[in-house]
Amino acid sequence: MRAPVRWLNDYVTFEDSPEIMGDRLTMAGIPVEGIDRPCTGLKNIVTGLIRSVDPHPNAERLSVCVLYLGARIVRIVTAATNVRPGQVVPVALAGAVLADGKVIQPTDFRGVLSEGMLCSAEEILGDTKVISPEKRDGIYILPPDTPLGKDICPVMGLDDVTLEFELTANRADCFSVLGIAREIGVLTNSKAKRPLLTLQEKGQGKATEMATIEIREPELCSRFCARILTNVRIGESPLWMQHRLQAAGMRPISNVVDVTNFVMLEMGQPMHAYDHTLLAKHNIIVRRAVAGEKLTTLDGTKRELTPEMLVIADAVQPVGLAGVMGGLATEISASTRTVLLEAAAFYGPNIRRTSRGLGLRSEASGRFERGVDVAAIPLAIDRAAQLLEEMGACDVVPGIIDVYPRVILPAQFDFTAAWINRYLGSDIPASTMVEILEKLEFTVKVAGETITVTAPTWRQDVTGPVDIAEEVSRIYGYDNITSTNPVGPIHAGGASTERGFLDKARDLMSGLGFYETLSFSFSHPDFFDHLRLPADSPLRNAIPILNPITDEYPILRTTLVAGLADTVARNLARKNEDLKLYEVGTTHHAKKLPLTAHPEELYRLCGAMVGRRDGTEWCHSREAVDFYDAKGVVESLLYGLGIAKWQVCEAVAPWLHPGKQADFKVGDVTIATVGALHPSVQEAFGITKPVYMFKVNLSELSLLDTSASQKYAPLPKYPAISRDLAIVLPDNIPAAEVMAEVRTTGGVLLEESRLFDVYTGDRVEKGTRSLAISLVFRSPDRTLTDDEADGPFRALIGHLEARFGAKLRS
Amino acid sequence: MEKELQRIRESAFHALEQATDVSALNELRVKVLGKKGDLTAVLRSMGAVSASVRPRIGQLVNELRVEFEKELEAKHETIKESALNQRLAAEKIDVTLPGRTRELGRRHPLTMALDRIKEVFLRMGFDIEEGPEVESDYYNFEALNLPKDHPARDMQDSFYISDQFLLRTHTSPVQVRTMQSQIPNSPIRMIAPGKVYRRDYDATHSPMFQQVEGLVVGPDIRFSDLKGTLEIFCRGIFGDGVKVRFRPSYFPFTEPSAEVDISCVICKGTGCRVCKGTGWLEILGSGMVHPRVLEMSQYDPSVVSGFAFGMGVERIAMLVFGIDDMRLFYENDVRFLRRF
Repeated sequence: MRAPVRWLNDYVTFEDSPEIMGDRLTMAGIPVEGIDRPCTGLKNIVTGLIRSVDPHPNAERLSVCVLYLGARIVRIVTAATNVRPGQVVPVALAGAVLADGKVIQPTDFRGVLSEGMLCSAEEILGDTKVISPEKRDGIYILPPDTPLGKDICPVMGLDDVTLEFELTANRADCFSVLGIAREIGVLTNSKAKRPLLTLQEKGQGKATEMATIEIREPELCSRFCARILTNVRIGESPLWMQHRLQAAGMRPISNVVDVTNFVMLEMGQPMHAYDHTLLAKHNIIVRRAVAGEKLTTLDGTKRELTPEMLVIADAVQPVGLAGVMGGLATEISASTRTVLLEAAAFYGPNIRRTSRGLGLRSEASGRFERGVDVAAIPLAIDRAAQLLEEMGACDVVPGIIDVYPRVILPAQFDFTAAWINRYLGSDIPASTMVEILEKLEFTVKVAGETITVTAPTWRQDVTGPVDIAEEVSRIYGYDNITSTNPVGPIHAGGASTERGFLDKARDLMSGLGFYETLSFSFSHPDFFDHLRLPADSPLRNAIPILNPITDEYPILRTTLVAGLADTVARNLARKNEDLKLYEVGTTHHAKKLPLTAHPEELYRLCGAMVGRRDGTEWCHSREAVDFYDAKGVVESLLYGLGIAKWQVCEAVAPWLHPGKQADFKVGDVTIATVGALHPSVQEAFGITKPVYMFKVNLSELSLLDTSASQKYAPLPKYPAISRDLAIVLPDNIPAAEVMAEVRTTGGVLLEESRLFDVYTGDRVEKGTRSLAISLVFRSPDRTLTDDEADGPFRALIGHLEARFGAKLRS
Repeated sequence: MEKELQRIRESAFHALEQATDVSALNELRVKVLGKKGDLTAVLRSMGAVSASVRPRIGQLVNELRVEFEKELEAKHETIKESALNQRLAAEKIDVTLPGRTRELGRRHPLTMALDRIKEVFLRMGFDIEEGPEVESDYYNFEALNLPKDHPARDMQDSFYISDQFLLRTHTSPVQVRTMQSQIPNSPIRMIAPGKVYRRDYDATHSPMFQQVEGLVVGPDIRFSDLKGTLEIFCRGIFGDGVKVRFRPSYFPFTEPSAEVDISCVICKGTGCRVCKGTGWLEILGSGMVHPRVLEMSQYDPSVVSGFAFGMGVERIAMLVFGIDDMRLFYENDVRFLRRF
């Protein structure tokens, strides 16, 4: 919404600068987003009359114009082809500055000195959306009676200042110059004026006899007013009106259309003008469209209508989409002689659905969506008729056709000042509240403590005491209410276990040298192919988004792996070679598609490692990360999260190297998977270096009991006996199986067992490897003798020989 | 005899002076004090001297032994110390070479900003709540006083999953979920951080971003409490010097509503590019919970009142860290992530 200050000044005057008034309005809840001074920056552009246009002696495409500026003559070379003697045009003289900041200097064009430049609309305005299309190209031609040698700004109406509002959806009443003027009046203690109505009805006949109006959907159309204008002479509207429309951001079209727009901008009431002659039987019927019915709208598009949509029809067919756009067939044209002027109120939600459904948003539909002042409709239509009559564009036929089936009365309710003050935590006297409300044109009655208000007809948003609390406080000033702190029972704030778990995981990952990343929750099904997921993989069961932001993101992610692999690829492409990255986030899993219930949202942690294990300083090893680095990270993380025990087994994830991947399990629940990214997956993501990745199922983990790791066990009282064991056994026996056997058969005195060396190579037989295990035996109640340790030690060796064919390494 | 002792003394002390290492000292100890050493030889030859001088010779030998032992010990200490000093000197390293660092990872800057926000509210006794990202139309809109076809739905262009489900456009549904999970009218102080989604994508809009919602409900919660609480928050994040202003605004789920601005952290309020010359930065939306929202969650507006607020984590992180393009947060360039 744009409100030119001169237009506002018709209804309210104020001494503050536009900037200060803008701030005051903003702080009263009418947000001013900008202040437009279109002539700022423009310099030394004046009006000139073209005396002659001659071909340039040395250049085929140029013309030499001689212009009269009222007191002097200038010669200007132009490439424009629309210049003719007798036209008045904008002339940028030496030192002139155009809208884009370009400075004009006298220039020699092939031997002819040009003393400046003739200007197009764009060079003066910066953009041409408020200029009619046929005037956009070439030099901008001014009206022939324009005074000469004058600064272009006042001539084109650019010397006004316009306040630009970013209004909130509730303040329908402020979508008009008059509405803003009312607010300024409240802030400056000077009540805004209303348009002065002195309508002359000089036309022949009676309006009520020249057309009929029938509202078949009173729920969707609460009021419909019409006036008939005869003797219409379509032409341009006066310059002052064109300038105001342009300042407000609208393009002048013709006198009748301009007036309907003018009144809409001024009073907030959208209007439409029909060619009365073209309305079948001069009937207006407000009804729902019949399925399959078609209408070609003003923009030339033929639209198929649905019964959801409200139309304005004549006796035969729809002639307009109510509140959204008129029909082409009954449009005002140069030959229009009789006009039916419409001003109506339509039901906002219905208008909104229609305009969104068709992708047709307009100044009118926006205002109907928010709601118009139904009581003021006759005023608006009279204002429009009067403006047209005053500019000699028509005769107004006596009478108004006003069908008003559903009167919506403004809200009336009671409250007390004490209640308002308690709600706000303020101490505003009742008299101040009454004063504020009366300035806002509420009807106020005070009876003892009780205050009864009736909202003005244009304030449909006010429905109860909390709205009064807002009206009073915004005018009183939020800053004038002293801040306090809430009182209530004391309570230690806290988070859910799961959230705590996420934070702990992040801390651990930082300590392990990993950087946290964040990716979009959106994904693409191609990634499932990249990850080599089989056709029946549950991860492919992703939730589609009906209206994705781009083609890249049509679904919600079911795994973090793809996003992180993509992040790794992007970093490698940017020569970030050594990476330890992770993400903590949710994945979305539909129980059933299409969705009938909330999908499952699971927290996952996904990590990736590439490049060197350590830093790049002189003292760091040059070694690259491998599987065991990634596995070690998962192990450290699980320990840190308080998971005491798990099993590791070979895994079969399609996105990982088949020989280098493992699952971590607690019971039957997989809590983590780690491995080398499959070479084909790497290739699909454009990654050229080995990547080790892991994913940890945090949601599942957070359900496990982690309290055991937080309990203290007393330190041992008696010394331990250590024994080291080196065995050679076939190299296809997983170490975890051997260690499990050690733990289960080592006897009650075995306190600890650790695999401290693994050897494959020349010194053992091919197909075998040596495992070196350190064992600690201890009793809780006495000092062990060597013999007591040797017994279980030898028994253990026997078990390993029997189970795995292991031999003591010599 | 005495002359002999004098000779031994001179030669012994001379040799002691000459000795430079521990083995020379040991040799000297054997030569002078050993069983076959010079002093023992003197004592052995005592038979040849008259009984009258014997005690005197014995005393002189003893004196010399004690004196020499003492000097020997002292010399031993000196030599050991100088040997140690030599070794230490030889072991000198270039301590200016970089240490063997272990690179610490870091949280994402948005997580860090969120941590700071949570910290301030946890200290004020707020709970942290959560809600789903795929949300129903009811929780995201209807229960927040945003019926279908309400013009304020335009403020939040949504990603739809179906007629019934969408990606939540704000964290406000957690207000409703929290109230509905409580015994009606029981007091609430909570914040709800989380990801939200809107169909917007440029330097200042991301289709996914993070918000923190807040809700305080109780028997006597006032608009002035909203002001006080959010002032504490703003100072907690942006420092005690920051100015806070409350500007009337509109949200369908609050009444009265207020946008919260802080004095520009870049120019300190004098006007710059970041604050578009106004000196103020908008960082929060807030308001008194609309009675209809309370009612829809079985809270009785005649018994309790409350305030709610919502903020964008990206916005706050950009201001706290001085970041000018929101897209950087989701590119995850490790050079960017290392900056914090």
